[in-house]
Amino acid sequence: MPSDAVPTKAVPTNAVPSDAVPTNAVPTDAPRPTGAAAPRRASGAALLRSELWVLFRRRRTWALLLALAAIPILIAVAIRLSSSPSPGRGPAFLDQVSQNGLFVGVTALIVAIPLFLPLTIGVVAGDTIAGEASHGTLRYLLIAPSGRVRLLVVKYIGAAAFCVAAALTVVVAGTAVGALLFPIGPVTLLSGTTIGIGEALARFLAIAGYVTISLLGLSAIGLFFSTITDVPVGAMTATISLAVAGQIVGALPQLEWLHPWIFSHYWLGFVDLLRDPISWASFGDNAVLQAGYLVVFGALAYGRFLTKDILS
Amino acid sequence: MVWLSRAFGPARVSRWLPAAIIPVVIVAGAVIAPLGATAAVDLPDIAPDELLELVATCEADAFSGTIEQQSDLGLPDLSGFSGYEVSGSEPDIASPLELLTGSYSARVFVDGPDLARVQVFDRLAERNIVRNGDEVWLYHSRERTATRLVLSADDTERAEKAVPDAGEVPTPGQLADRVLAELDPSTAITVGTDRVVAGRSVYELVLTPRDRLTLVGSVSIAVDSETGLPLAFEIVARGQDAPAFRVAFTELTLESPDADLFAFEPPPGATVTEHNMQEGPRPDLGAGETPDSTVSGEGWSSIVELSAADLPTGLLESPLYTAATEPVDGGRLLSTALVNVLLTDDGRVFAGAVSPEQLLDTANGR
Repeated sequence: MPSDAVPTKAVPTNAVPSDAVPTNAVPTDAPRPTGAAAPRRASGAALLRSELWVLFRRRRTWALLLALAAIPILIAVAIRLSSSPSPGRGPAFLDQVSQNGLFVGVTALIVAIPLFLPLTIGVVAGDTIAGEASHGTLRYLLIAPSGRVRLLVVKYIGAAAFCVAAALTVVVAGTAVGALLFPIGPVTLLSGTTIGIGEALARFLAIAGYVTISLLGLSAIGLFFSTITDVPVGAMTATISLAVAGQIVGALPQLEWLHPWIFSHYWLGFVDLLRDPISWASFGDNAVLQAGYLVVFGALAYGRFLTKDILS
Repeated sequence: MVWLSRAFGPARVSRWLPAAIIPVVIVAGAVIAPLGATAAVDLPDIAPDELLELVATCEADAFSGTIEQQSDLGLPDLSGFSGYEVSGSEPDIASPLELLTGSYSARVFVDGPDLARVQVFDRLAERNIVRNGDEVWLYHSRERTATRLVLSADDTERAEKAVPDAGEVPTPGQLADRVLAELDPSTAITVGTDRVVAGRSVYELVLTPRDRLTLVGSVSIAVDSETGLPLAFEIVARGQDAPAFRVAFTELTLESPDADLFAFEPPPGATVTEHNMQEGPRPDLGAGETPDSTVSGEGWSSIVELSAADLPTGLLESPLYTAATEPVDGGRLLSTALVNVLLTDDGRVFAGAVSPEQLLDTANGR
């Protein structure tokens, strides 16, 4: 059944919006399952490959990543042009940037994680199923038997891949622009200990991993919303609104009992990786919490998507 | 809502089963897991005096662990006063108050009587207190300030008696010692239910005031059954079920921590100040030890009277003071579940673990 190896945007319809991938995005090198051996697995891998290919070929994906990269660049340029802020003012670590450019990435993450990162995740995750439905391409993807579960999984992996790319974009762009504009040197941790550049870069990569995990729960929520509607903008708006609402609830002391259950509860916990010795407790708690959201909203998306009448 | 009616057709119910079952499993797990962790364990019976001796002979002097403090004193929310908004102008007022009244987690490393390090985890920041022999470093990551104190022999002795003065953050053990030292016949001492704290089985020492006037309902100290190390300390206000104040280990390792942890070097770029312990104010929380205080009443319901001149300068002008206190007849009252403080208009301060009415009566000489 090679038919579902055809990439998602291959069917030209007049509903394709201007930012959609042009039809020549069909990967001609997509391998087709040759023998009868394990055709399902092969087609699943091919589906994933084409999903990632289409996702990262889209101009919109690049625009989102560029917008994320602009955050550390703006911070760094603004500090370069103005006087250095005094300690304790502005976002955490901001005052350290002018002395050590390596802090640009971490500062940018603190700025980006409440709104900008959830915004981009909401756009990508909200588009997963609803986008195909609105383009009228969904039913072509579902010709294969039991194709719905596979498509759901592939779509989620695509959204997760974007989470990795988004977190890495902020950290890498921040570290690079920081190194370009400011002196770099050994990094002072929150505990007052100083570590070398190599170890600091390793910790920044771990932070990117932490942020990626932090966003997986929201991606699952976006996937579920995307199965409810055929209008991608609706799913995107719902996901982003929920991300903001979750943080508002997280800021209300009256709802303290609820806080450990909110997906954004450990979002800023990545700074625990900048303590000495590293405190892994929030990393583990965050992973468990996000896994819980993934399972619950994955099951909801499964229930919705497998009982849905695909009309487009 | 058309999709709902479509979705729940008879043949389609099974597709929704995971979505129905998984949340139930998660909620059930979340409810049952804490029950299992705090389930009563059955330790051999022990008399209160044996338990006190177990604490007194505690030999575990090298450990590292994580402490959680929760307090529900009924104070107005002071979090707006800590953090960077006011830290530039009022560095020292909000911080100790917040340490006592707030909820936070901290890591503690102790190796013998001379080596200790406490790391208070703030949001995006950390406060460190490192003691290495006579030298104490205080480091605040948000302000990037490092303060070096050198303890004189006097201070060392004093710090061993009441470490909170030197370290600001009391460990359960230090608090327990302080309470045990003040025990007198006014208190009923019993052994409570055996429990599990930080993965270790503990005895519970319960102190119940016989005095009916005090706001303190009971004080309980969880004592590790193997080593005698106090692992949790809680105070329950009279008439309440949940503790008003609780400090407890959530994690504990009885091994010597890495020696590097106690060798603190101020990082480059930090503002370093040397603090002379002979002059100037000490970083001290024990307002009750101020010279000119008089104590009326006894035991749990004693009331301390001091002069407003002994209060830290600037406290009465700070917005924190106005926000935390309420006006009463003849002064302002700071009211919490456990302690009430009355500041009269004529410059006297009354404090005690008693009701505001008793403070007012004492202030008016009744």
